[in-house]
Amino acid sequence: METLKDYLYTMESCNSCGQCRFILGPLSKGKDYVEVCPIYSRFLFESYSGQGLINIAQEILEGTLGYEEGLLEHIYSCTTCGACDINCKSVRDMEVMDTILALRAKCVEDGYGPLPAHKKYSSLVEKEHNIYGKDHDQRFDWLPEGTLTTNSDTVYFAGCTTSYLYPEIGINTVRLLQASDIKFDVLSAGEYCCGAPLWRTGQMAAAEKLVRHNLDMMKKRGIKTLVTSCAECYGTFKGLYPRIEELSFEVLHITELLRRSLQKGQLQFTNRLSMKATYHDPCLLGRLSELYIPWKGEIKAFGYHDPPKKFRRGTYGVYAAPREILKAIPGIELVEMTRRAENAFCCGGGGGVPDAFPELSLWIASERLGEAASTGAEAIISACPFCKSSFEKAIIAKQNPLHYYDITELIARAI
Amino acid sequence: MSLPGYIYKMLENVVGPENISDSPHILAAYRHFSPQAVHRPVSPAAVILPGSTEEVQNLIRICNRYHIKYIPEVSLFGMSAVAFPDTVIINLRRMNRILEINEVDRYAVIEPGVRHVQLKPEVLKRGLNYPTASVGPSCSVLANFVASGDHHVQHSFSRVSRYLLGIEWVLPTGEILRVGSPALGAGWFCADGPGPALRGLVRGWNGWGGGLGIVTRIAIGLDAWKGPPTLPVEGHSPQYQIRLPRECHRVHIFKFPSLDRVRDAMLEIGKAEIGFAVLKFFYATEAVLYTESANDFWELWNSGLYQKELPQALWVYLATWTPEEMEYEERVLSDIIRETGGEPVEESIRKKYEENMDFFIMVSFLQRTLKLGGGWSPTKLGGDSVHHMFEVAKSIPEFLSEFIDKGLILNAPHNFQIIPMEYGHMAHIELLYFYDRTAPDRRKVQMDISQKSLETDIRHGFHAATPAHGRAMMEKYGPLWSNFHLWAAKIRAAFNPQEISNPTS
Amino acid sequence: MSMPEDIADFKKVLASIVKPENILDDAVHLEKYSRDCSFVAGSRPLLLVYPETGDEVKRIVIWAGETGIPLVPVSSGPPHFHGDTVPSQSGIVVDFSKMRRILKIDPINRYARVEPGVTYAELVPEVRKHGLRLNLPLLPRDSKSVVTSRLEREPVLIPKYQYDYTDPLLTLEVVYGTGDVFRTGSASGPGDLDHLKSDMVNPWGPGSVDYYRFLTGAQGTMGLVTWATIKTEVLPSLQKLFFIPVTDAVGFPPLLAALLRQRVVDECLVLNNVNLAAILAENWPEDYLELKKSLPPWTVITCVAGYQRYPEERVAIQEKYLLNICRSLNLREQLDLPAAGIRGSTVLELLSGSWKKKTYWKQCFKGACHDIFFLAPLSRVADFINLVQKIAARLRYPEEDIGCYIQPMVQGRGCHCEFNLFCDESNPDEVAKVKRLFMETSEVLIQNGAFFSRPYGPWAEMVFSRYTEGVIALKKLKNIFDPHEILNPGKLCF
Repeated sequence: METLKDYLYTMESCNSCGQCRFILGPLSKGKDYVEVCPIYSRFLFESYSGQGLINIAQEILEGTLGYEEGLLEHIYSCTTCGACDINCKSVRDMEVMDTILALRAKCVEDGYGPLPAHKKYSSLVEKEHNIYGKDHDQRFDWLPEGTLTTNSDTVYFAGCTTSYLYPEIGINTVRLLQASDIKFDVLSAGEYCCGAPLWRTGQMAAAEKLVRHNLDMMKKRGIKTLVTSCAECYGTFKGLYPRIEELSFEVLHITELLRRSLQKGQLQFTNRLSMKATYHDPCLLGRLSELYIPWKGEIKAFGYHDPPKKFRRGTYGVYAAPREILKAIPGIELVEMTRRAENAFCCGGGGGVPDAFPELSLWIASERLGEAASTGAEAIISACPFCKSSFEKAIIAKQNPLHYYDITELIARAI
Repeated sequence: MSLPGYIYKMLENVVGPENISDSPHILAAYRHFSPQAVHRPVSPAAVILPGSTEEVQNLIRICNRYHIKYIPEVSLFGMSAVAFPDTVIINLRRMNRILEINEVDRYAVIEPGVRHVQLKPEVLKRGLNYPTASVGPSCSVLANFVASGDHHVQHSFSRVSRYLLGIEWVLPTGEILRVGSPALGAGWFCADGPGPALRGLVRGWNGWGGGLGIVTRIAIGLDAWKGPPTLPVEGHSPQYQIRLPRECHRVHIFKFPSLDRVRDAMLEIGKAEIGFAVLKFFYATEAVLYTESANDFWELWNSGLYQKELPQALWVYLATWTPEEMEYEERVLSDIIRETGGEPVEESIRKKYEENMDFFIMVSFLQRTLKLGGGWSPTKLGGDSVHHMFEVAKSIPEFLSEFIDKGLILNAPHNFQIIPMEYGHMAHIELLYFYDRTAPDRRKVQMDISQKSLETDIRHGFHAATPAHGRAMMEKYGPLWSNFHLWAAKIRAAFNPQEISNPTS
Repeated sequence: MSMPEDIADFKKVLASIVKPENILDDAVHLEKYSRDCSFVAGSRPLLLVYPETGDEVKRIVIWAGETGIPLVPVSSGPPHFHGDTVPSQSGIVVDFSKMRRILKIDPINRYARVEPGVTYAELVPEVRKHGLRLNLPLLPRDSKSVVTSRLEREPVLIPKYQYDYTDPLLTLEVVYGTGDVFRTGSASGPGDLDHLKSDMVNPWGPGSVDYYRFLTGAQGTMGLVTWATIKTEVLPSLQKLFFIPVTDAVGFPPLLAALLRQRVVDECLVLNNVNLAAILAENWPEDYLELKKSLPPWTVITCVAGYQRYPEERVAIQEKYLLNICRSLNLREQLDLPAAGIRGSTVLELLSGSWKKKTYWKQCFKGACHDIFFLAPLSRVADFINLVQKIAARLRYPEEDIGCYIQPMVQGRGCHCEFNLFCDESNPDEVAKVKRLFMETSEVLIQNGAFFSRPYGPWAEMVFSRYTEGVIALKKLKNIFDPHEILNPGKLCF
């Protein structure tokens, strides 16, 4: 896997153009909701941005910046939402997100990182294979009896947060799979944490261990299709795993699968849900969800990549599937936020920020909820348990009148 | 920390502790050595974020008292760079209010932190528009207007500075000066007066010859917008498409047998007063703008299509109020093109523009110019008559060929743009070249090209720019430009006696 | 105070700079320059000098700097209305009327370059020969200097061609009070005028400062301009003038806003019945009184034009837009004013050039006229008209005797608002009354947000007393460009 020095080209190429901080021009609807980087919005200094972080990375690599007071907090304040990365890639061939993740990995490698709040992840996954330290054997206790088809080559990967914090997501998902007549199995005790929290906080050794275990499980079981209802898991399978080994299975989000079912007429909505709602695109289901294609080559004069490199620019994120489903549910009036799809403003739930900086996470989520409310929506819908956690905490803390729904809940209510 | 503690504390008392920093990791972004910069910036001593004109004034007063140098900034994509140690950056991004959009008198009053990405949609939804300098959506509107950037629709608009309608300015010595109608509390509709127009002093260029103090508020003029209130954007990054209704919005690109014919067509279109935008655009830059990756660019560029179709071409965007008017304008255009020997370029090229009208509206993908590794540089950037600009253009190969032949820059000798203003009364020229930023001598290439370009202009008597804003260049070449460097020095001494505002070598 | 022998010395020195016959010192001529039609009190100049070249101007200025003798520039012929040509502190009048070369007219790049003595009467027909026209002020007198008019930011009739308040002024050559010669914008260089190939039409710079702006609205206090480049426009091959009568002053700003937003019209101005009558009257006072009665209270005068290509089509399209806008505001456009017996073609002819009659229209009624003029946004024009009417009523001045001219400027972003107070100078009571009205109205207007961008004469004190920081800045500039303070001292804030 690449290390920080492999991204020197990105660091040196930065022209400080500012694209990483703001919504792509013509998508803006007005004065508000134009900034896409949560920490730039919160802390205001230019160093709190994709550009700032890669500038810091360059100086650390060059030895001109040391691990001074406040540096680690600065580096780990980023939610790794990837808005900077995608916006930069709308105009450049640079890898801003990977540079930031490699910077965190270097902090860990140099013995300074991660932050204390993140260090527990690796010990917890070592022991119980989930980041919450809960009993591994109870991972699938939520699963209703008789829902599985053994030896199916489709597996539902629930993920830690669904399994231990929001089992209703898992319950609704399996109900929907059954309603669509999709045969599936689970990895049961073979399902370990996908590795996202370790990866996003630079704890690569621990992350790689998890990855190899899960890949091994998939191979052993002959899995051809992995379905998940967690955006973090989805984005990790597609964004991290191929860096270690080529995937031998297709990765689908539940909304992708259900859209197929809807189109085939296998899924029918019979109940009306009257609400005006807006959809929030999770980062790892949206802009950071494309399959990572490893590249090894040389960057020649004038930026020519030899061999050609396939960049993940967020063009083919899972934007349409959730929306098509929601629009098909009778009674749902779907309105859009300005910062949507690849320009979605982070929920504040990623990158280890909720554990290290809960106030910051709350602030970011509140900003996003404010944008949701500005559309006139009474509810915000998303497709990730991390988004659920982040938004619900903010709703409670600020007594926000908005309601949060995971998309699986609404679909399950509608059928 | 290079600022003495007590001075830091004073500055902190003005803006609050969360709005000032001298931590090295915070300053990293402000001292980054961009591939387009010739000199490595000196690290600032601190960066300060004021939230009001009063705070700006108080900061400048402290800087004056303790002889602290300062430069203002909003986005980091601009012209300013710290040249001396112990300089503070006063970043105005917190001052980001749109104070007023007056639809009857057609102006907007804004603070420096307002970006194009914010203001443009606010005026478009009101059926209004303003000229947007080609800097990208994240840049400061105020900074562009004060520096007077150039843009693609100057044909029916004019240079951006024409649209300044009132200025509030904190002088280098800390006084607040309002210029134009705001000076007398008469509103924000005129920047000239009372009496001799002081606004002539206020140009946002950095350097020894410019950049006096900090402008904290301006009014800009707004004109009518003939398009829809919100831009109809389709697709996902980076493949956005913005199509405007064809019955009133059409793009044509024509190629001509010679630059003289391009010029003649440009002049005739101006005389006929048709067209929303007319320009002879960069052909290599176009290939960079309309491809997704550097590799895609090379594929397109190596195909030779753009070299065949675009070195002597004219872009015309017609925008009318009614289909009837469009019919009229197209008939007039058709006659002009026929008379001047033009013909349409390959349709795939033209289609790209009509499918992404953002090129004429906000130019939000301008930063694709950086795609080839970030090594790019504009030069000339001057203006005079359309006729003169084409004469200047013909002289470009005299100095540029050498660099192309040595492989120091991209082989694109026709990569200049000429944009008429005010229906052809004047025009702007810009030569843009791409260099490989990984080449060890790339800074020398930049300096050499600038120098050779200037020498060519001097040799011919061409006014395509004035000498760069560094003191040495101004003093060396100023005598050839009516000794303007002497007047600039006197103005600087009068208004910036301590040499602390925008200091540069 | 200069003694006769000093003046004789001055004359001797100046005769080594200009031709001896270009120096006048007789009482009759000197007396003419000691006053104008404004309320500005002046003093008699010591001498009149008529340079013929820029070099002569330069040498005069150098000499004045050495001796400290004030110079008062005059470029237009009389009558003068704004006090700028009246010496405040005696000195030498530098009359540019002999610098009247039209240096260049370029029909391709559409500009003219002229010396300061060139008048509208001279330039208008010359540019027409090249298929061009000027964006004219309203009925400039024949002897009005084109350069002075542009330097003083006088309003022009076609707002769509004006992109800022200095437009159509482009570049210029100036002799500063130091005696240095400077050329602005793309006239600055590289090299001297023999080497420089530019057309000298870019006004900005050189460098970061827009030097030409300091010379505008300056009444010659910042430098003496020896030539200027002016934009010209295509001469229409077809024009159609429309009158749009309006009863109340609140009625025309929305019309102007709509027309100018859409860039429908070329010429566009508003005159009240008083001024329109004064302009059109042939026989005085009968025609004037009759026209005043029969003309509508306000008349918006606009033109649509076709140029060289398919002019009829263009005119038809613009006319349709004009019609639609008028209908939407319940207004009616018409080609003539039949009640007043006025043809559109007559007015079009008038607007296309300078004032041809012997007596300037403002002087026809009572012999003299004092203008109050300022800038305002369109949305406030009706308020200011109302304010002036109220003050006139309070001071018992007949509203029906106040002329009013509203000229939208700069695409309609601002308006020149002008109120003309006609005056019989032989009647001291009337003079006192008009003066009181002038001063009080001006003061009240400033207090209510009228922008006196050209604070001439008595306005200087009213305006600059409210603009302390600006005065400090202007004086810094003055100290740079005229350190000896010889250029028209006593004007503005200097």
